[in-house]
Amino acid sequence: MVRATLVLLILIPISAFAEGERNLPAERFGIEHLTEYIGMRPDDIGFRTDYAEPDSFRLEVVADLMARPLNVIDYATDLKNGHINGQPEIMAQYLFKQTAREGQAYRDDAYRADISEIQANYTLHYNDVTFSQILTRAAVYLDVTFSRSLDKSLALLSRSERRFLREEFRELLVLRVEDELLPIEQIDSLEKVEERYCEQFLTFGHKVNKDPLLDAGVNCLRELLLEINSLRSQLKSGAVSSKSVLEGTGFLPDNANLEAYLGLQTGWKVGGPGNDYYNGDYKFIFDFGGDDIYDLSYDPANPHGVIIIDLSGNDSYRAQSDFVFGSGCFSVGFLMDFEGNDRYDSRSFSLGSGYFGMGVLYDAAGDDWYSGDTHVEGAGTFGIGLLIDEGGRDVYNGAVCTQGFGFTEGVGVLYDLAGSDNYFAGGKYKATIHYDDHYNSLSQGCGYGIRPYVSGGIGALIDLQGHDNYQSDMITQGAGFWRALGLVYDSCGNDQYNGFQYAQGSGTHMALGVLIDDHGNDVYFGKGLMQGCGHDYACGLILDRHGDDTYTAYDLSQGAGSANGAGLLIDNLGNDLYTARETKNTRGYGNPRRDFGSIGLFIDLGGTDQYHGNGKNDHYWRLDSKWGAGMDIELNPLPGQEAKK
Amino acid sequence: MSTALRKVMFKAGLTTLILIVAASPGLCQQTLRKKIDSLFMIASSAELKVRDQVEPAKDSIAALGVDAVPILVGKLGTKSARDRWTVIQILKKIGSPAVPHLVKTLKNPDALIVQRVCWALGDIGDSAAVDPLIAVTSHSKWQVREQALGALGDIGSERASEAVVSGFDDEVGQVRKAAVVSSGEIGVSVAISRLVHMLGDEFYGARLSAIDALLKMDTSEVTIIVADSLTSANSLVGDLGCTVLGRIGGDRALEILVGEAQGGDPSRRAHALLAIIEADPLDNCGYRETIVSDETDRFVLLKINSAIYSVTHAGKETQE
Repeated sequence: MVRATLVLLILIPISAFAEGERNLPAERFGIEHLTEYIGMRPDDIGFRTDYAEPDSFRLEVVADLMARPLNVIDYATDLKNGHINGQPEIMAQYLFKQTAREGQAYRDDAYRADISEIQANYTLHYNDVTFSQILTRAAVYLDVTFSRSLDKSLALLSRSERRFLREEFRELLVLRVEDELLPIEQIDSLEKVEERYCEQFLTFGHKVNKDPLLDAGVNCLRELLLEINSLRSQLKSGAVSSKSVLEGTGFLPDNANLEAYLGLQTGWKVGGPGNDYYNGDYKFIFDFGGDDIYDLSYDPANPHGVIIIDLSGNDSYRAQSDFVFGSGCFSVGFLMDFEGNDRYDSRSFSLGSGYFGMGVLYDAAGDDWYSGDTHVEGAGTFGIGLLIDEGGRDVYNGAVCTQGFGFTEGVGVLYDLAGSDNYFAGGKYKATIHYDDHYNSLSQGCGYGIRPYVSGGIGALIDLQGHDNYQSDMITQGAGFWRALGLVYDSCGNDQYNGFQYAQGSGTHMALGVLIDDHGNDVYFGKGLMQGCGHDYACGLILDRHGDDTYTAYDLSQGAGSANGAGLLIDNLGNDLYTARETKNTRGYGNPRRDFGSIGLFIDLGGTDQYHGNGKNDHYWRLDSKWGAGMDIELNPLPGQEAKK
Repeated sequence: MSTALRKVMFKAGLTTLILIVAASPGLCQQTLRKKIDSLFMIASSAELKVRDQVEPAKDSIAALGVDAVPILVGKLGTKSARDRWTVIQILKKIGSPAVPHLVKTLKNPDALIVQRVCWALGDIGDSAAVDPLIAVTSHSKWQVREQALGALGDIGSERASEAVVSGFDDEVGQVRKAAVVSSGEIGVSVAISRLVHMLGDEFYGARLSAIDALLKMDTSEVTIIVADSLTSANSLVGDLGCTVLGRIGGDRALEILVGEAQGGDPSRRAHALLAIIEADPLDNCGYRETIVSDETDRFVLLKINSAIYSVTHAGKETQE
């Protein structure tokens, strides 16, 4: 143990600093060193804002990072460190800041409700002060703040424009299995319909002001969690019991109007420690325990806030419609489950989905199973979608736009703190444009916009511990498409990444895609436009800091720039194995477009490495391309290991 | 049938005939547009299922010739990159007959259209477009300036030399890059010293393109000017100057490079040494041993060894 600690103490400075006196992170040194080798500078990796007509939806963060893409390493690190255990409101607040539009001068506040707006309507039913406080705060937000804040957010929109957002705009994200069988004329017609939707949206989309609603969501989460944690502490210490909390006034007259009693009104339910069953469209559920079943539904035509709090038990959440379980659809939706091995079966726009709103699914413990279709498991569109899972070995399944997906003015984050997890995305909607046998994923840290109409958002998947398995297909695992940012940050464990194309640190069309893996012996596998590939004024970066890693790709990968993009593969330490089938466009390759080249950088800073394809251990190389290079050096050699003359 | 009725019928028939004749160009145009739209849907499709039909569809539209040009130009405002590529490819296939209409379109108020027309004119490569293209090299939109300069390079007419050189001073890197590339394409010899200066340009596209452009010029003159610029305060000029000299090769270039290889800056030494190996891969001049034995920087040494390995294994797979 002592020896292991000592080794760690020695290794950490080696990996963190290069060349002693220069005090640079290793990867930064590597980039400076290799760019100098080819007559470039790190700042050459940067993009203008005006290659194409700008729209008003690009996020400030994306704009800043496109100007200085290498700053994304620090950005991703901040995001990774942004969560504090047991306090999802902090991450929510952080993400709210990320949703600022480019050039946005100020952020609008939520509607400030007066407590008297609630006190006048309800009589307290439960005797426990803390519990009543929870109910009161929830009522303020559910009855007043969310709806008034939504009014502020959509104040400038007509009724038909609001309906458009609820219906047609949503179609821009929804795919259909049967579409793959359509003849070319109908496909063309569908594309034209989508183009018309985009053009129609552009006429009024700028009037959407998501801030009041999101601010309301953040405030609600913060205030509620304060009270919930207080109640949980009391329950844990034995100061109160669920039975004592649930004791009401003891007497309700036969003709009592339940709507006047806080916690008993329509759409509200308080469940005891036994196994409960909930069925319908609820606004508020507080369940003290037991293995519960939630068969819930939601009608987007009648938007409202939803708060579900389940303190313990192995629960089963079964969606009866879209927009449930931590889903904010033109409102705010929270699902907080504090204990148990839970199963979440959803449809679309669920499980931490913010669609013109804020959706948070917070699961504090247990081995959980998540399943959904589209826009699920940390997905945001004009809003925030956040899924935080703090413990256990979890399984995540989704079809498309899932597991950290950010669409226009949206941020979607999946944050898993512990356990060896399985992530699967794809397998349902074929990517018929390119392949007969591959599927759209748009997942696992994917920022996506519709080219060339509307900029994308920020999609991030962060996993702190465990040996994880990432399985996906097209546009995935740290992928940005059209003025967007997609990122994966995995801190520990021996992980496996399997994607097919536009994956594993891939930026396409003025976007940024990054995959950072700190520790572990990892395996990266896929076909092309991946493992550090930037296409069309875009940047793709893969950074693996430690471990003996295996990289396999076919083409245009592993530090490849295409169409004036920049692609970087950086591996700091470990004995690695690199395989690439195509030698003409991998590992330090750039191709020309618009009469000038792209940037491809392949950087390995330590270990004894094996190469199939371009490259060699202890070697610098350049391909016949414009422009790029590769290097395998020993950044901090042990005595006697220095290069021989 | 009464005479009066006959007269009425004659008049009605005549009127119909006149109307048909008057409307026929419009009808023809409408038919042509429908035909092109129908073919274009396939020509611009990315769908796997019609992949084999894409090129024939483009050829069919191109075969319609000059009549198709206005309709194609009408599509140049498209937001679809694939549609834009398709239009330009078809215009290129039509070739010179398309030029007069395209030149007229350079006056279009929509900069996006103008930019794409410049691109098409460059691809066609007809010198009739040179003067109209020069006229838009001072367009307010940098994208138009970039495309116009690029097109002038593609056409390769010396008439454009002055306009191209003036592009070196543009505030936008992409435009300077286009000027650099085109100066090489055209062979603007008066631009050599400016091109050497461009080796230190802040935009990498202009900087690295300047290497290729210089190699297309009178290399003896380039060698002299590069040698004079090696002490530039902008180290990129000297570093990339070494690269240029390495590619030019010859005794004079090697002599200069050997001097640079003995300097104090490891980066400069590396650039000079790699250039020497490129210029004299077989070490016919016998510089290598001296150079290597004097070098102390481990990264520079590794670069040298890697370069030697590459030239000695040229043509062989660099697999390990």
